[in-house]
Amino acid sequence: MVNPKKILLVDDDIDLLEQNKVLLESKGFKVITAEKGEEGWKLFQKEKPDAAVIDLIMEQMDSGFVLCHRIKKTELGKRIPVYILTSATYDTGFKFSASTKEEKEWIKCDGILNKPIVLEDLIDRLDNFVSPGNN
Amino acid sequence: MQLLNEKAAILIVDNEKNLCQSIKLLLEKENYKVNFVETGEEGIKQGTLSEFDVVLIEMKLPDLDGLKVLKEIKSIHPNSICFIITSEPSYDSAIEATRLGAFGYIPKPFSPDELLRRIEQGLEHRLLIIEANRLKKEREENLLEVASEKSRLNTIIKSISDGVLVINRSEEFVYYNYAALKILDLYELKIGDYANKILPEKILILVNKIFNSEKILLKTFTTQIELKPNSELVIEAACTPIPHPDGSIAGVVVVLSNITTFKKIELIKSQFISMVAHELKAPVAAVQGYLNILLNPDIEISIEQEKDYLARSVTRLNGLIDLVNDLLDISKMELKTKQREIENIKLDEIIFGTVKLLEIELKKKNIIVETYIHSGFPIIKADLNEMNRLILNLLSNAIKYNNENGKIFIHGFELHNYAIIKIQDTGIGMTAEEKSKLFNEFYRVKNEKTRLIAGTGLGLTIVKRIIDSYHGKIEVDSEAGTGTTFTISLPINNN
Repeated sequence: MVNPKKILLVDDDIDLLEQNKVLLESKGFKVITAEKGEEGWKLFQKEKPDAAVIDLIMEQMDSGFVLCHRIKKTELGKRIPVYILTSATYDTGFKFSASTKEEKEWIKCDGILNKPIVLEDLIDRLDNFVSPGNN
Repeated sequence: MQLLNEKAAILIVDNEKNLCQSIKLLLEKENYKVNFVETGEEGIKQGTLSEFDVVLIEMKLPDLDGLKVLKEIKSIHPNSICFIITSEPSYDSAIEATRLGAFGYIPKPFSPDELLRRIEQGLEHRLLIIEANRLKKEREENLLEVASEKSRLNTIIKSISDGVLVINRSEEFVYYNYAALKILDLYELKIGDYANKILPEKILILVNKIFNSEKILLKTFTTQIELKPNSELVIEAACTPIPHPDGSIAGVVVVLSNITTFKKIELIKSQFISMVAHELKAPVAAVQGYLNILLNPDIEISIEQEKDYLARSVTRLNGLIDLVNDLLDISKMELKTKQREIENIKLDEIIFGTVKLLEIELKKKNIIVETYIHSGFPIIKADLNEMNRLILNLLSNAIKYNNENGKIFIHGFELHNYAIIKIQDTGIGMTAEEKSKLFNEFYRVKNEKTRLIAGTGLGLTIVKRIIDSYHGKIEVDSEAGTGTTFTISLPINNN
């Protein structure tokens, strides 16, 4: 790939972070990682990634939602796909999905991915993503 | 009562001896038992002493008026059948005799047949009176029994803590107890009030279902209702039809139980289970992820990465084992609090023993422990394993969250009948927000400094549960950057 796409991964589980990084790199992506929301926000501003995958449950108040919201407020954020990664649906049994237009409006992310990431699914989504700005 | 015996007893009060003798013979032939006396005094004496079935009284006695004798006997034995016999009958005396309770008035002379006929009539009448009295008494006793049974049931239903309401076919309240008012938060309820204006929709649906079903449904329908938001008051309503003897439904009894506590426990339990599942899954998923990468021929990784991934996998699996052990400890504690072995425990010995046990960890971080056991540090009654676990968890936290070359101060003393142990470290400390969540299951302070500290998040949960079970106290004092002090107080006179 001449110009590999850059993906921002944010997750407080350092093992999953490392694994997803290696997996995405093996598919030719360039991956930047952060363990915390604040760090992810700085990295986003500095590196200007082509997509972001953010873990939903992160300690220290900056849950995935907050970071996602901040990213989506920026010009760049509006153009790139931002996914929220969660194991909440499966583990806690509480239903969690943005199915209606209103929910998507509120949550502001481009999709919710269940843990563990199905790599093909993510790549599919990234390939098919048409940024709102390109419409 | 002689009537119930074979022979009816008859008393004759008359001073005409010859007449009496012949009457006696006549009556004894008819199988009556006969006594006769000649004076009024004697008549009153005998007639009141025992109850005769029939008394024949001559109106004109030498000492007393026969009516006086009649009056006295009747006042004691109202069921004795009395006849007035007289050779000077008069309209007035007959009326007076009847008024005083005489059954008959027999003018002399009378034929034997007439006398016998009158006596038989009298005895029949007496039989009826006695039977009627017996029935009356029986009925009164029954009524009394029914009344006390009813009030007993009433008292029972009024005292139970579940609410009870009875609704008739017209959907009016016909019965309720105070617990029902309390649960439904009603000031008062009147018999005859309509249920549809008062009961929650969900209960009315069940009541209607029972009344309107084509077949008679003799089973109980239940529903759970949140009466106050956020599960502050949750009740269960059980609606059971009351069958009428004719086969229809006479009404519905609604029993209301407050199940708020039960619901809360249920929620805590299911939350705990999902948390446990989440915590168990995380290390397994991490190890699985590393193994998948190692086995994937399309992914190229260096030898160093390979070693790192395997080491990380081992670390996560160790954490998993610790977690499972902690969970087992918690469940043991919950199941076996009564099976603990209470003995005299010297807490200072446990403290010194635990410090020794953790020597390697202390040396790794070059931490110095200073222990001050004040004189008179008490012996308490407790379970040895639990006390060991308590001190171990607190001390290993003091090491884990301490800085290199840090210190741990331990103080042991007695205060107001409590054994107090203070464990103070010079470690990374906590913010107020972190402190507030400290005793939550699986809570671990997560920041740059703690990311490499292994733990299950259950250590302090176990500590708190042990202390609570001894009615003790645990307090935390901490400031980010300066360190944390745990103070535990255990009552000395603990049974």
